[in-house]
Amino acid sequence: MNGLLASEFRRFRSRKLVKVLTALEVLAIVATGVIVLLTQEYGLASLADVLMGTSLVLLSVGWMLGASAIGADWHAGHITTILTWEPRRGRVMVAKIAASLTGVFVLSLVIQALLGVALAVAAAGAGSTAGADAAWLAESAGVALRVALLSTIFAGFGFGLASAGRNTAVALGVGFGYLVIVENLVRGLRPRWTPWLLTDNAAMVVIGRPLDFPELGRSTIEAGLYLSAVAAVLLLAAAGLFRARDVN
Amino acid sequence: MDPVIEVEGLRKEYLRVRGRRTVAVDGLDLAVPQGGVFGFLGPNGAGKTTTIRCLLGLVRPSGGRCRLLGQEPAGLYRVIARVGSIVESPTMYPRFSGRRNLELLGRISGIGRARVAEALEEVDLAERADDQVKTYSLGMKQRLGIAGALLKDPEVLILDEPANGLDPAGIVEVRELMRRLGRDGRTVFVSSHILGEVQQTADRVAILARGRSVAVGPVQEVLSAGHAAGLLVRLDDVLAGLRILGEAGIEARVDDGVLKVGLPPAEAARVTRTLADGGLYLTELRADEADLETVFLELTDGATRGKSR
Repeated sequence: MNGLLASEFRRFRSRKLVKVLTALEVLAIVATGVIVLLTQEYGLASLADVLMGTSLVLLSVGWMLGASAIGADWHAGHITTILTWEPRRGRVMVAKIAASLTGVFVLSLVIQALLGVALAVAAAGAGSTAGADAAWLAESAGVALRVALLSTIFAGFGFGLASAGRNTAVALGVGFGYLVIVENLVRGLRPRWTPWLLTDNAAMVVIGRPLDFPELGRSTIEAGLYLSAVAAVLLLAAAGLFRARDVN
Repeated sequence: MDPVIEVEGLRKEYLRVRGRRTVAVDGLDLAVPQGGVFGFLGPNGAGKTTTIRCLLGLVRPSGGRCRLLGQEPAGLYRVIARVGSIVESPTMYPRFSGRRNLELLGRISGIGRARVAEALEEVDLAERADDQVKTYSLGMKQRLGIAGALLKDPEVLILDEPANGLDPAGIVEVRELMRRLGRDGRTVFVSSHILGEVQQTADRVAILARGRSVAVGPVQEVLSAGHAAGLLVRLDDVLAGLRILGEAGIEARVDDGVLKVGLPPAEAARVTRTLADGGLYLTELRADEADLETVFLELTDGATRGKSR
C-alpha cells in the first residue's frame, strides 16, 4: 500500500494540470503584489477578506484537480495498467483519493501562504501593516485553513463525479450545471431547500460564521460536516462503482 | 504440475443498448502448462483480449471460471507480483520519460531504479529512456510496455498483441525475447493475429473463433489438423503439364507459376510418371503442407459458418 501511495503522490505532483494551475496562481499572486505596491493603498489588516475573496478560485482549482486526478487516468487507460500491478481496486481507489485530496489541501495552503507573504511584503513596502497583530494572524490562518479544507472537499466532489463518469469533463460539466444552474433555480423556486445547497454551506464555511442571509440554521462546523458528508457519499459511490464495473 | 493458466467454460456477455447482448467469450476451455511460449490466436473479435482481461481481473466473467497461477481473480493480488502483462496498447504518461513511467509502476511493488534500468536495457530502450514518451515511435512505446511487463521479472508473461506497431527488426527482437523467456522456464502467453510469428515462436497454440476454442495443442499437432493440401510441382512448361495431367484424369491448377496437384503426397510417383510419359521433366516436387495461417483460416472460417447457420 505504501508503494502505491508513494506512486500516486508522485503522479499527482507530476501532473501537467497541477503545474499549470499552480503557475497561474503564483503569477496571479505576483501580479497582486505588484498592483498593491503600485497603488500604495493596501492595508494588511484586510488579509482575511482577500483570502475569502480568492477562495472561489481555489475551490474551482480543487474541483478541477480532483476531477482530473482520476478522469485523465480513465480517459488514457492508465487505470488498466495500474490494476495489472495492484488488482485490489479498493486500495487503488484509496491511494488515488488520498493523493489527490492531500495534494489539493497542501497546494491550497501553500498558495494562500504565498499570497499572504506577497501582500505582507507589498504592504510593508508601500501600504499599511497596522492591525496585523496576533488576533489578525489567527483570523487569517483560520480563513486559510477553512478554504484549504473546503478546496479538499470540492476536490472530493470532482473526484467522485469524474470517477463515476470515467471522465474529467463529466465532473466539470455536472459541477458547473449543478452549482450555477440547479442551485440558483432551487434558491429561487424552493427557498426552503436553501440550507441543503452546497454553495450556501460553502460560503458559510469560508466566512466562518452564520450567514445573515439566507439563514441556514446551522453552525459553521455543521455546514462543513454536511459538505464533507456529501463528498464522502460521492466518493463511496464512486468506489462502489469502481469495484463493480468492468475495466475495458 | 498444475497449469499456469486455467480457463473452464468461461463466458462473457456484454449488455448493449436496447437490452441486446454481445457474447465475447462463449464457454472457453483452456489450460496453459508451465514454461514455454503459448500462442493464443484468433481473428479480431474472437474474444482474445476479453479472456486476458478476465484472467487479470479487469472484467468479471458472466459464467465459468479462470485461474492464473492457481488464483481466481478475487485472489489475484496474491500472485500479481509474479505476472507481467500488456493488455492491448500499453498506456504510459506521454509527458513523462520512459524511465519515469517505469519507476512509477515499479514503486507500486517496491522495484528499484536498477531493475528499471535493466528492463529498459532488455528492450533496447536505454538510450532513449530519459526522453518524453510522447516523442517515441509506436514501436518504442510497445517496447516500453514490454519493459513494464518485464519489470517484475515475472514467471508468467501475458502479452496481448506485443508485435503491434513494431517494424520488422522490432518484431524479430520481440520474437527472440519471447523465445528466450520461454527457454528460461517462464510461461509466455501471447495473443496475436500475426500467425507466422506465433508459428516461429510458440510451442503450443490455441485458436479461438467466436469466443470458443476451435483447436488447441502443440503447434505441429494443430498444423496436422489442416487438410493435406496435395502436391506442388515446378516444371518449365506448366501449361503443358496441366494439359497432360488433365488428360490423365488428375486434378491440377496453375497457381503463381506452380502446378498445384490435387493428389496426396503418397501419390507423388503417379504424378512424376504421368509427366515423364508426356515428355515433361519436373524441376521440383514437394508436399503442399498447410501452414498455421491455412489451418487458422480453415478453422475460424468453419466456426464462423457453423455459427451463422
